Amino acid sequence: MKLLLLLFLFPLTSVAKVVPELSGNLEGQFRQSNNNTEAKEDLFQNWNNENFYLLYGNLNGKIEKDNSRIEANWFVRYSYSDLYEPNPPYFATNIFTFPNQLVARDLFKLQHKEQNGKEQVESILNKFYYEIDLGQKRLMLGRMYINYGLGEIFNPINPFNQPTGLTSISQVAQGNDGISYTHFLSDTHNIQFILLGDKGINNYEGEIDSTFWLHGEVQYSGDLQLDYVLGEDQDRYKLGSQISYQTSLGMIFSQILYRSETIDNKPTHNLWDVLLGYDQQLTNLWHLRFEGGYQKEDRSLNLTNLGERFLPTEYFLALANIYEIHPLVKVSATLINDVKSGFSYFIGKATYDMGNNMEADTFVFTPFSKGDDTDNVAQKLVTTDVGVALRLFF
Amino acid sequence: MFKKLLRKDFVLCVALGANVNNADEWLKYSENQMRGDRSHSEITMTIQTPNWTRTLEIESDVEGKNLAISTIKSPAKEKGIRTLRIENNMWNYFPKLKRKVAVSSSMLLASWMGSDFTNDDILKASSMADDYSHTFIPNETVDGEEYRVINNVAKSNTKVMWPRIVTYASPKDCLPRIYRYYDKEGKHRRTLTLTDVKKFDGHLFPTHWEMKPEDDASKKTVLDYKNVKFNVSFPKDHFSQKNLSGR
Repeated sequence: MKLLLLLFLFPLTSVAKVVPELSGNLEGQFRQSNNNTEAKEDLFQNWNNENFYLLYGNLNGKIEKDNSRIEANWFVRYSYSDLYEPNPPYFATNIFTFPNQLVARDLFKLQHKEQNGKEQVESILNKFYYEIDLGQKRLMLGRMYINYGLGEIFNPINPFNQPTGLTSISQVAQGNDGISYTHFLSDTHNIQFILLGDKGINNYEGEIDSTFWLHGEVQYSGDLQLDYVLGEDQDRYKLGSQISYQTSLGMIFSQILYRSETIDNKPTHNLWDVLLGYDQQLTNLWHLRFEGGYQKEDRSLNLTNLGERFLPTEYFLALANIYEIHPLVKVSATLINDVKSGFSYFIGKATYDMGNNMEADTFVFTPFSKGDDTDNVAQKLVTTDVGVALRLFF
Repeated sequence: MFKKLLRKDFVLCVALGANVNNADEWLKYSENQMRGDRSHSEITMTIQTPNWTRTLEIESDVEGKNLAISTIKSPAKEKGIRTLRIENNMWNYFPKLKRKVAVSSSMLLASWMGSDFTNDDILKASSMADDYSHTFIPNETVDGEEYRVINNVAKSNTKVMWPRIVTYASPKDCLPRIYRYYDKEGKHRRTLTLTDVKKFDGHLFPTHWEMKPEDDASKKTVLDYKNVKFNVSFPKDHFSQKNLSGR
């Protein structure tokens, strides 16, 4: 009750002293996409070449006074393509708009999504929370981003915000409805307790699916950091950790996550995720990252559940290079290989800083080696795309 | 000439607190002048090439040699991004996504926001006085000004980006005016020029810094210190992960 009072009284008590901030970004994308033969033959994705237009933006608001703040984010996305015409739309539209489920755990809908012919419009209050620091404690209430973990392609210890390393979307995070309490035990150890509710999983009908989550960070020594997670989420018990170690050259990190069988005894099995990574700045202009790992796919999920993950491999090795060829131009090349099936995927991007708070991207996504895993529908659905994007910040 | 220069400026440098005959002391004195125990700086960074210019506004807080936090105030794309350094550990925080990222220590050598400065330069991770051994080498005249020249060679047990740096220090105020950075192959890679000395809270401080890469004469990055405060008292947990992610 005190928290609710604080939330409502914040604007009244602080009018004269608040520090308001407004910021955001707007991005337009065009891509030309070519379908995968297997998607046509096996998955009824009967199209060849299509254009896809995307316009999306964030408007961030923040007011702050002393040790407390209210932050909000309004996310709007408009997409247009012939791929929306069938009912249901072709599946590629989900990949092009990943994460298509902008709120990972939503107790309140606070969003509008409408598809009409070749168009889809989404409007979401993606972040809206009150946060207060009370000494060594921090409390958050509302729709919040929960963002931790070193994985940029695969980040299994954080189920509340999916990495977008394999997509063309940037400046996007997923909201979560609930309460977070962080206790900073010392300079080197903090624990975050999270209680979330999710009605979206049941299409906003019936009971609330609850998440109880604990995330701790321990700076064990100057070079060694340990993260641990533990909890119940989406009907499974989950337990995991992340270890990162700084060497004289770079940083080695690993993650492991165990997901139990479903608690309600539906016919499922337990799942394991493993990640091993390495990150190094090779020269002052060249950055290298390696991520490799294993994800046990949840075969009980259907194709529309891309809000969860987009990693079309089971055993994978990924190598990402970012090179600054000019102070205004960065190029990146990411190669990902499924070592079990042989499936390989390449992502190339070039980002140009155009000044005046604008930047442009060109990108290419292409699976260049087909896998022999005939059950992996995600690999069949990956398309070959080239595109451009224009991004404006304010 | 050297004796004449030494005589003329000896009184001034000693008055400022430096031992002009000892390179270690000289470096220690100049570093103390420019870093202090605690400082807060408001800086404009301008990255310049013949065809374009990019400007960033930064605030930087430094305490001792192990604690630093910087915040980008503009432009809009980077506004609010903060970097915290505690000893050799570094974290970036992206407030719009509420994302904190541990940064590999190798990132200290990465270019900072496309500029000719590195993370190491901005976060003052290495200390010329502590991480290098120093010897005077013969004086040199550059653009009509005579400088005392100090050869700084990285100590074997330190992790620094540049194995050798040559400092050209003004005998007038004992402060460095030029730094020349040499790589492992002994190649001169970049030059930092410091001018426009002003006094802030009893500390002499060059407020205009120009970094030029030697392999591209058309390019440079300029730091203009608009305001520097020394002996600032920071809150207890100012250099903490709690503070990093709390704005």
